[in-house]
Amino acid sequence: MLTSFVRSGQKVILRIEDILNKVFSSEQNLLYYHGAMPNFCMWMLFLSGLLLFAYYTPTLEAAYQSVEYITDKLPYGDVIRGIHRYAADAMLLTVILHALRVYFTDRYREYRLIAWYSGVALSVFMLIIGVSGYILVWDERSFIIVTKITDFLGSLPFIGSSLASAFLNGEVISNYTMSMSFFLHTGTSFALLVLLWVHYMRISRPVVNVTWAIGSLISGIILLFAGLFPAISGPEAKFTVEPSYFDIDWFYLWLFPLIDTVGNIGAWLVLIAGVTLVTLLPNFVRNHDKEPASVSKDHCVGCRLCSIDCPYEAIYMAPRNDGSKYKEIAVVIDDRCAECGLCVGACNFDAIELPNYKSPQVMDDIRIALQS
Amino acid sequence: MTQAETQSENKLKTKDEVKVAVIACARSVNLEGELSATKLNGVSNCDVIQVPCSGMIQPRMIEAAFNAGADGVIAMGCQIGDCHFREGNKFCRERLLGQRPPMIKKTVPKRRLKGLWMSEVQVDDFKARVEDFKGYVAEQLVEEQKGN
Repeated sequence: MLTSFVRSGQKVILRIEDILNKVFSSEQNLLYYHGAMPNFCMWMLFLSGLLLFAYYTPTLEAAYQSVEYITDKLPYGDVIRGIHRYAADAMLLTVILHALRVYFTDRYREYRLIAWYSGVALSVFMLIIGVSGYILVWDERSFIIVTKITDFLGSLPFIGSSLASAFLNGEVISNYTMSMSFFLHTGTSFALLVLLWVHYMRISRPVVNVTWAIGSLISGIILLFAGLFPAISGPEAKFTVEPSYFDIDWFYLWLFPLIDTVGNIGAWLVLIAGVTLVTLLPNFVRNHDKEPASVSKDHCVGCRLCSIDCPYEAIYMAPRNDGSKYKEIAVVIDDRCAECGLCVGACNFDAIELPNYKSPQVMDDIRIALQS
Repeated sequence: MTQAETQSENKLKTKDEVKVAVIACARSVNLEGELSATKLNGVSNCDVIQVPCSGMIQPRMIEAAFNAGADGVIAMGCQIGDCHFREGNKFCRERLLGQRPPMIKKTVPKRRLKGLWMSEVQVDDFKARVEDFKGYVAEQLVEEQKGN
């Protein structure tokens, strides 16, 4: 049942892509850049964040005013703030698109496990960055977020109180809390880069850049939103006033309505169950028996073409000292092999073959078919 | 049979008589129920041989198909930009265009060799494109004879 569900999802995606190909050409097909689009949004966030970073002050007294200064006084400050706000939404949207596409086109398991696991980790990190970003503004909503997160962390057995005081950076909300939120927001962002490095492991020539047209389109949409719905703060948070403003951003702040509905422990269970389920998705499908490509010592001339073409970095060239006149031999790393046959297509010497689709056999099949 | 003999046999065939071999990626057009052994249902003289990815198609396989009596050969992969194995169809296209080694031999009649990039769901479109190609190959064979 799961398989037929995934298969029909794939058909829907392929039909949409076919239409997009006809309208935009495959060169500019948005869906062919599903992984590059979040990356583009991330760099927009880094750049706009860098500009905000220059003027932001992470203290209880000055945070709100510094954000207001950026928005009202700084030339184009409101635009930069708007970009930072909506690029974050765009990043999450494109990440979801990316995840759905790789899931439904069956490109997330077996030899792609590292990418799937690191992708889940990246999404969790994105949530942390998103939530902590809303604290930095220090309006009433930020105040509510801090108290709710403190309760949420504190509700965990054993480690809860330590986590809560680590988050507050003390026992009460103070300037140190702001420093911690600032760290969670910017420090974790840099962790994204490390995780992305892991995400790209085992992938030769990953598509990380969108085209100029797609980049302009995404920037345009983000700018449009920044102009139509400017990012603004609520009333400043004050310890003497009961906070009430909580304009919800469903992209990053859905945790709080969830906590209100099912309680702290319930929200933890939902979060943990969700992350576990997504992480284990590759385990719900049976892997087929591995039959990786194999290299024939007698035929390999060390031309490197297969190791260059392998899209999963599964082939490397090793020096050979078995008396052959050739200096190198191709070596397949079995676990990384996707059994796609791209190495076979690159080989002119029958030196690398898939056990199930040997090229002489394919050529025989062609001859037999044509003579029948 | 040598290539010269094959070619002399190829002359002046009607569109229906034209023999086409499609070396296809198993993940592109979904041919489940569309094949009787290797023959494509609903299209005359068209054989389909499937490989895991169009990136696996060696220039020698294309040569083998021409040498075995095919008048036209189609190398088919998924739509460019979408490949289950990321780059297979791009590499295949580059080989057809002579931009990526191993190269296709000069003796291969490139005008009767076609790259076709279609997704799983485009079965009817695929058949129509094969029919078009057969017509084109028939014209091409006439042209080649004139040239001789």
